[in-house]
Amino acid sequence: MTDAVAAQESLEAVLKDEIIRMYQDVADNPEGEFHFFHGREAAELFEYDPAWLDRAPAGAVASFAGVGNPHLRSAIQPGETVLDLGSGAGLDAIIASWGAGASGNVIGVDLNPSMCLKAQAHAAASGSRMECHQGRMEDIPVPDRSVDVVISNGVVNLSFRKRKVIEELFRVLKPGGRLSITDIVSAKQLSQSIVNDPKLWAS
Amino acid sequence: MFRLLEESGFRQVRSVVVPHFRFRKAATQNSAEAYGVKAVLFTATRPTTI
Repeated sequence: MTDAVAAQESLEAVLKDEIIRMYQDVADNPEGEFHFFHGREAAELFEYDPAWLDRAPAGAVASFAGVGNPHLRSAIQPGETVLDLGSGAGLDAIIASWGAGASGNVIGVDLNPSMCLKAQAHAAASGSRMECHQGRMEDIPVPDRSVDVVISNGVVNLSFRKRKVIEELFRVLKPGGRLSITDIVSAKQLSQSIVNDPKLWAS
Repeated sequence: MFRLLEESGFRQVRSVVVPHFRFRKAATQNSAEAYGVKAVLFTATRPTTI
């Protein structure tokens, strides 16, 4: 292993811990102040239907930490299988389950196993069907060609290996399947001081 | 991201800027603007023939 690879892996391990810590903090302390908008305030900012936010469990809404609204273009149909990559406390997965209906299937994947449990509890409380798997977005624990629609909200940007993540999304989608993801992009190369700072990268 | 989607085999790749995205804290927002940071909604399709 080269020094560069070892350094990258070390930084990724630190970043993984920081991502878990930060988004666990949002879920555990939704009344807290973060440098990004979260909860109902953020969801309304991104034009989530207020009726969805009234219908979803309060805990799922309060812990929402997305950067946009992937449902605007997801066009989920009854019976479809939906993957929510980085499902967090479950709000987007629950909304997706309303589109997929009883004949559909919603799969969440999250780095943090406790967030998976929280999302599944929120889904159950709303009468929604959702399974959640702990896993990394660079190695999605879902079979090849098994998903009709991928949604994701503010997650892919957290990876150092975005090409691998996109290849994984291609792998899990059925031919003709589609994705609708919101994410953060930068027009300029981030400085090395930002890249090397897990707190900044995770946010 | 747009280029990564196309290079990975996706077709009908589209993107639209999320109009109201911003950071809560002014210092973070100022830094984000300096780097041209935006939130974007991407859509794409896996071809039926692959």
